[in-house]
Amino acid sequence: MTYLDNAATTFPKPRTVHDAASTFMQTLGANPGRGGHRLAAGASRMVEATRLALARFVNAGSTPERVVFAHNGTDALNMAIKGLVHAWHRDGRTHVVPHVVTSVLEHNSVSRPLEQLAADGVIALTRVDCDADGYLSPGVVAAAMTPATRLVALTHCSNVLGTVQPIAEIGAKVRERGGDAVFLVDAAQTIGVEPIDVEAAQVDVLAFPGHKALMGYPGTGGLYVAPRVELAPWREGGTGGDSKHPVQPGEYPHRLEGGTHNTIGIASLKAGLGFIAATGLDAIRQHETRLVSRLLDGLAAVPGVTIHGPRTAQRRVATVAFSVKGYASQDVGAILDTSFDIAVRPGLHCAPYCHQAIGTYPDGAVRASLGYFTTDADVDALADAIAQVAAAS
Amino acid sequence: MFGGIGPEGQRRLGQAHVVCLGCGALGSVAANTLARAGIGRLTIVDRDVVEESNLQRQVLFDEDDVRDALPKAVAAERRLRRVNSQIDVRGLVADAHHANIEALIAGADLVIDGADNFETRFLLNDACVKHGIPWIYGACIGSYGLSMVVIPGETPCLRCVVEGAPPPGLTPTCDTSGVIGPVVNMIASIQCAEALKLLTGQAHLVNRDMVTVDVWDARVQRMKVHALRDLGACPCCSHRRFEHLAAEHASQTTTLCGRNSVQISFPDDHTIDFDAVSARLAAVGRVQRNAFLLRCAIDTYDVTVFRDGRAIVEGTREPSVARSVYAKYIGI
Repeated sequence: MTYLDNAATTFPKPRTVHDAASTFMQTLGANPGRGGHRLAAGASRMVEATRLALARFVNAGSTPERVVFAHNGTDALNMAIKGLVHAWHRDGRTHVVPHVVTSVLEHNSVSRPLEQLAADGVIALTRVDCDADGYLSPGVVAAAMTPATRLVALTHCSNVLGTVQPIAEIGAKVRERGGDAVFLVDAAQTIGVEPIDVEAAQVDVLAFPGHKALMGYPGTGGLYVAPRVELAPWREGGTGGDSKHPVQPGEYPHRLEGGTHNTIGIASLKAGLGFIAATGLDAIRQHETRLVSRLLDGLAAVPGVTIHGPRTAQRRVATVAFSVKGYASQDVGAILDTSFDIAVRPGLHCAPYCHQAIGTYPDGAVRASLGYFTTDADVDALADAIAQVAAAS
Repeated sequence: MFGGIGPEGQRRLGQAHVVCLGCGALGSVAANTLARAGIGRLTIVDRDVVEESNLQRQVLFDEDDVRDALPKAVAAERRLRRVNSQIDVRGLVADAHHANIEALIAGADLVIDGADNFETRFLLNDACVKHGIPWIYGACIGSYGLSMVVIPGETPCLRCVVEGAPPPGLTPTCDTSGVIGPVVNMIASIQCAEALKLLTGQAHLVNRDMVTVDVWDARVQRMKVHALRDLGACPCCSHRRFEHLAAEHASQTTTLCGRNSVQISFPDDHTIDFDAVSARLAAVGRVQRNAFLLRCAIDTYDVTVFRDGRAIVEGTREPSVARSVYAKYIGI
């Protein structure tokens, strides 16, 4: 099987990730922070070491406690969006309906919570467009902000087109224009491939999954919350210490981490971060850039193939959306699976507004997403298969 | 009164609960016969709507039902209530699957197989063996049909006789290859005769062989199957491993985002014979194909079949409709 669906989750994972998860469960599998015994303390150390590594990874190393674990990217985004709304209600500044700016490039994990809040009258929502290649303009985002704007929620990278957004420029504009507006970035498609610096980009809240390019297990994710941001807990419960508190404690990370941690997942995530450190983020990015360039060239040479989004390998991750003349996207996906043993993702990719923007709604497109373990041969196999499929149309 | 049943037998029939799983050709003949025989409670389960092409063999339905697009379970219930107002007839519009099959047959004294696919039959076999409910297998195609009684703990079960469901797209279906009324009536009648023996407490009279009938050749045969049970190797009735109930071999359906379509796929590796499938489908619609897929417009659906047997049924968002279209035209 040629696996080209790394935007959904990376596969395979490094061997060290499985070893770390297995070793943890066989040697330290206790509940971190619950009880002072040796195993619980060991589990806590592992969790806190992972938290610190994550914080440093996004340049928030001076406040590791502001990185909290989530169960996936969607969970982190819900913690952020609903936590902000709840905090606004607590601070009483909701006499003017809070305004939120988002974009057409968002995944449903951003769009759906925001759409529901808008439908419930809790927020007013503005969705900004992208340009023809799938990039957001900092100026357009800033222009959409109003005095009532309290949140700008944007993806770092389209999960359909692979276009990496200029978050530092957007972050600067948001801060300049918005005062206390929170800049929330969904880093699902970039963390582990693209460098992320929450300080430099002025990102207030960063949500990310642990199971994509970070190479951790499914069921992992995280949320960075800048000290200037007030976020109410969305999930309340046991935190180990402070049991006498009638409500969720105010200190991070406990404030947002009710319930037992996914320790096996966090152990895997720690090893994933270790793999990235050992390999080098630059080396990972260069590998993917080289491969996506090869794929774009291969697909562009096939008559009947339309590549959506930019044709160049710059300012993008190794995700390519395309269509093949004469076939629905789902048909191409099924053919690649059944006749060529290649796994891709057809359809709308949980990003309907993006497909509307690029004119591929409602059929969607075929998405091939490469990863660090993808090879030249994998890319060539896809291009060759698509050439055969297009010719048979 | 027929001596084989007698007043006591008739009283027992009036207290019996029979489930007809599937109400197509076999199911409608069987439900009709059993309602008239005075089965006290008859539950008819079917997922489909009456179509014109059904009328040639599905004796409970008429042109009004087609016009009103009535679910078969509803049409059957209405008809049979007029046939016999003294019994309790209930039609359930439902697609039998691993999650609901046990509830569908709960409390039944016997189940009549009127399914149009092997996947459902293996599921029924698991559920009936698990709960000790006798069921009567029946199937027809063309002028040929067969039947076998399964009494859990006494006779071979379906998995003793057939190890597993045939791969998708391999078996001809009534909707592509045709079936004639006489064989349907014969097989359903054999199923009902055996049912009457079981329900009147005369299990010793039940025919424990598999019966095959070809009405065109006027040939009826009995095949001994009882030795198969004694092998003790059946995962279902010897080892009580209910793999079909556990959905280990179940087809999966996914409603595809963006399109008005459902994908149906299978867990085991198969390679479908495009030649055979397209030859059969040519009888019902125009077939287009290349090396990778085969498309056919059937009724209001566009069906695209891929090499491993998976298919995308466009024209519905309902998994049960897609499963039904697949069972009727591709075959599982």
